[in-house]
Amino acid sequence: MSFALEAESLVKTYGAVRALDGLSLRIPAGGVFGVLGPNGAGKSTLFRIALGLVRPTSGTARLFGAPAGQASSLRRAGAMIETPRYPPYLTARDVLRMLAMESGATGSADIDYWLERVGLGGAADRKAGTFSVGMKQRLGLAAAFFTRPELVILDEPTSGMDPAGIQEIRALIRDLADKEGVTIILASHQLDEVRRVCDRVAIFSKGKLAAEGDVEALTGGKPRLRLTVSPADKALAVLGAKGQADGPNAVLADVLRAETPALIRALVEAGVEITEARWREGDLESAYLGALEPSSNKTGNLADAR
Amino acid sequence: MLADAIAAERFRLSRDRTALFWGFAFAPLIAMLFSMGIDIFTRAVLHRTIPGETTDLANRAMGAVAGASGPFTALFLLIGAAAIFAGDYRWETWRLITPRNSRTNLLAAKLIVFAEVAAWSLLFTAFTAVLAGLFSSLVNQTRLVAPPGGSAFLGHFAGVFLITWLEVMLVGALAGLVGVVTRSTMGAVIAGLVVVFVQSTLAATMQATTWKSLAIPAYAGRILKAFVAAPDEMRPEAGPAGLALLLLLAWLAVLAAGAVTLFRRQDLTKE
Repeated sequence: MSFALEAESLVKTYGAVRALDGLSLRIPAGGVFGVLGPNGAGKSTLFRIALGLVRPTSGTARLFGAPAGQASSLRRAGAMIETPRYPPYLTARDVLRMLAMESGATGSADIDYWLERVGLGGAADRKAGTFSVGMKQRLGLAAAFFTRPELVILDEPTSGMDPAGIQEIRALIRDLADKEGVTIILASHQLDEVRRVCDRVAIFSKGKLAAEGDVEALTGGKPRLRLTVSPADKALAVLGAKGQADGPNAVLADVLRAETPALIRALVEAGVEITEARWREGDLESAYLGALEPSSNKTGNLADAR
Repeated sequence: MLADAIAAERFRLSRDRTALFWGFAFAPLIAMLFSMGIDIFTRAVLHRTIPGETTDLANRAMGAVAGASGPFTALFLLIGAAAIFAGDYRWETWRLITPRNSRTNLLAAKLIVFAEVAAWSLLFTAFTAVLAGLFSSLVNQTRLVAPPGGSAFLGHFAGVFLITWLEVMLVGALAGLVGVVTRSTMGAVIAGLVVVFVQSTLAATMQATTWKSLAIPAYAGRILKAFVAAPDEMRPEAGPAGLALLLLLAWLAVLAAGAVTLFRRQDLTKE
């Protein structure tokens, strides 16, 4: 198996702060890999080391097997680190032209195509400094993808975007990974985004790897039906082994989607009042908080995660 | 590659009209307008003409170029240099750029582009001095004359131009080093200006030509300009002039290498 990014006992300290504390991680080439963690967990530091922006205190990081930060490996990568900023005197098209020149990729970079693809076709000649946060994010995505790299690192790619834009960008990320074979590493605080887009996830806590695995495995597998009911004990009696309490007035039903109408009929016939029925997808939040539990303050992390 | 970094930097500066105007065009323009203003004031308000029967445009151009390494021009050059060298800290754009080329190339490209635009700025200085001279000749009704020495003047002009350009490159390299250290455009301008002012003041107080006085770039520049353009009786010896050139080059190398070395080792945590 080939790896897009490998970190081995990576340590990065800033004075007394240990941003990375012996992080070891291997991110395979192909697919979308999510990186989760509260603020200060070390996600951005890992990315900055991978891109040669920051030097590790100790340990090694490799991109496609070559030491991170080397020109040969960086040529195969694109990135959007945190909220992108641009020189205010450059238009969106100028930004991409400048970056294409810097990479020596003026021939292969299809600037207009990528501006259209991220939804900035109509704003190509506007100064990037006048862009909203969402538009800056879109331009950052175009800058990350437009030289057609094999690996793209995206740090909070949809922050500041409207819901339609978020959906569009998620689809773009998935599309590039599935159809064009781009490896994408995605850091996000939006657990739902990670669950929808990523194949595998790593959870960082205090500069260390707290958990790693397939999204499905981490979230506990298949979706379950959540019913808000009254009385709950009568509902649980109907559900039997397939039921589980989820608070005083709710139950989780481990059933197939096709069984839903029959189940609801059975509950109503048993005298159970149902005020809400909703499919709950795999619960990444519980996995996330569970992974952070041993080493961090749960309330604080929950707030960060949202 | 370095050529890619230079092309990108050149493209970028071509779009930064504010830096181009204030950094590299404003000082020559204001000097020209000031000269014209004096001519108009003398003629229209004082009803007099500036003394002299001739105007030597070539010498005016050389004089303007020779003076372009002074503190007044340095202030504006520092603004331009700070925009080039420290702009990526100010706009937090290093994270966009550094993964695309080597850090040595990126900073070397900035130095080379600064060198190019500084040379254009000096040529513009000469051009605006010629325009101001033509205007003065018209207002004061003086005769235009060729410089004494004829074709030898071209050699003098080229020498003065290159020495001033070298001095201006020192200002640029200083802004580069201070910009990297302070990560700030304002820091580059202010610290650079203090250094330029202090060394110009020191150079003005120096009486004897020693290796210590020659180590002050402004003094070394003055000796070199005198060596290439002054009349024979005022021309300094070749030895001190050669040492002055070596010291100016050494300053440039130290400042540029310092900026590149620090930038290569620098953690870009925010930028």
